[in-house]
Amino acid sequence: MKKVSVIGAGNVGATAVYYIAEKNIADIVMIDVVQGMPQSKALDFLHAAPYRKYTVNIKGSTDYEDIRDSDVVVITAGIARKPGMDRMDLMKTNVGIAKKAAQAIAEYAPDAVVIVVSNPLDVIAMVALRESGFALKKVVGMAGVLDATRFRYFIAEALEVWPGDIMALVLGGHGDSMVPLPRYTTVGGFPLTELLDSATIEKLVERTRKGGMEIIQYLKKGSAYYAPGASVAKMVEAVVKDERRLIPASAYLRGEYGHSDIFLGVPVLIGKNGIEKIVQLELTAEERQALDLSAEAVKEGVTTLETFYSPG
Amino acid sequence: MIGIIGSGNVGANMAFFIAEKLVDNVLLFDIQEGLAAGKSLDMMEAAPIRGYTTTIGSAESLDQILECELVFITAGSVRQPGMKREGLYTINLEIMEELAGKFKKYEGIVVIVTEPVDMLTRRFIKASGMDYSRVMGLGCILDSTRLRFMIATELNVSMENVSALVIGRHADPMIPLEKYCCVSGVPVSMFMDEEKLLSLFEETRGAGALIVDMAQRASSFYGPSAVAAELAETVFRNSRRILSVSHMLTGQYGIEDVCLSLPAVIGKDGIVRTLEPELEPSELKLLKSSAEEVRV
Repeated sequence: MKKVSVIGAGNVGATAVYYIAEKNIADIVMIDVVQGMPQSKALDFLHAAPYRKYTVNIKGSTDYEDIRDSDVVVITAGIARKPGMDRMDLMKTNVGIAKKAAQAIAEYAPDAVVIVVSNPLDVIAMVALRESGFALKKVVGMAGVLDATRFRYFIAEALEVWPGDIMALVLGGHGDSMVPLPRYTTVGGFPLTELLDSATIEKLVERTRKGGMEIIQYLKKGSAYYAPGASVAKMVEAVVKDERRLIPASAYLRGEYGHSDIFLGVPVLIGKNGIEKIVQLELTAEERQALDLSAEAVKEGVTTLETFYSPG
Repeated sequence: MIGIIGSGNVGANMAFFIAEKLVDNVLLFDIQEGLAAGKSLDMMEAAPIRGYTTTIGSAESLDQILECELVFITAGSVRQPGMKREGLYTINLEIMEELAGKFKKYEGIVVIVTEPVDMLTRRFIKASGMDYSRVMGLGCILDSTRLRFMIATELNVSMENVSALVIGRHADPMIPLEKYCCVSGVPVSMFMDEEKLLSLFEETRGAGALIVDMAQRASSFYGPSAVAAELAETVFRNSRRILSVSHMLTGQYGIEDVCLSLPAVIGKDGIVRTLEPELEPSELKLLKSSAEEVRV
């Protein structure tokens, strides 16, 4: 049986665990610093097993040693920004958490594929890569799958068709600077541009860009976790089952798409080794420009990181 | 309730796949006494292990089938090695027209699986007088699925990431549409050269015959059953999937009064709307000549 560990047992982490358990593909360990919280959630999941019929084991723990020999480790740990907190403080706190997590992964699960979910994603992924000392292909960030699933849902709603028939690639950084590619978005094989006019597409793109914020506005306290959890589970499954899925994800670039030494959302083939391949697509001048802008935003984050970051 | 007329390999496997998907209860029917009852009982005895909570039963008469919301017609002969699907037309026409007579007041949805599907779907509509939107043939949805499998295998990527579209006849002149085959939204031509793709198109064309030749007796049934279960799910859940099924054309590309496969949105009332892919002149020509071939 494969083993998947999820670091951070908050809403996103626990929901990811729920979806992974339902797939029945791996034993699961949930880690959190809050004593009792991961244990209670794991036990609650096991209590539901007779109905939900998963046969995998689920363990909650506050001890990193329990991630030993995991095939996949997901990092969701981190704090959300509270009112009045500046971005720098948030980054410092989450970088500190990610550092510890990555060091633990290097020690206990040296062969794992690491999926980074904590924000600011492209910066935290960089920290995870440095602190683990892992090969580039072993560390990947989850953002594009989430942006794409939201975009797919909005398209399905507009066209009144099944969301599963829609395929979409969303590149770039997570959030405002994301780069949806309507040209590489299809509905039952039909290019989106054949079915919707550009004004409608632009509206759906805009809604996707603000998709996370739309949920926050409803919830007031807290942010989305069902779609993020489902997106994590999709990536975990691709690795565990060596599915070789072509999905958008944040990967460390070395010249691909004209960028180097940053994590950026690009199309990648995901399999048992993590990023099996970064797929280079032809982009129009406009798409390239949008991706460059997105890369700039990520670089700013990395520059901020360097002002306080020291390894180890 | 989903009715299946014919409990041979295709009919029985369809019931099996539909049960595993928990779509709805299934009723099998066959003119050979005991066949439907035996197979449905066998499947129910597997239910405690497989965990389906829907039932598979057998109908004693066609009247029971006519009470189902969705009916698949798989009855008829299957082809033998070396035989083309068209060769079954005269053999299966009689049974199809006889069945159609019973569906004159039927208000559910009928899916024709019996070959040659494009010709028989048209004959069924004519003989039953049913609405065009409520009758479809299990046509190029199967060829599209086979092509998806081939593209995914060739590129070594997940099948779920691949979409493929084949239209026209569910027979040798089928038309795979290169422009509408993609991997995660990216046209497949970016991953594969033209020659390779064309060879996969040829393989798709011959895929059904290859299975007949290999098996020497039975024609394929896992693939057809799987797409039938997909259709059943789409109708029952009103999920509005886009599937390339054979249905009566009413002026698309200037073609009418003939059944061919085009992508259609499928929901609880059957065909919600037909989508028209942009065709190359050669593809359009082939679609028009296909139309004449199945107008029987």
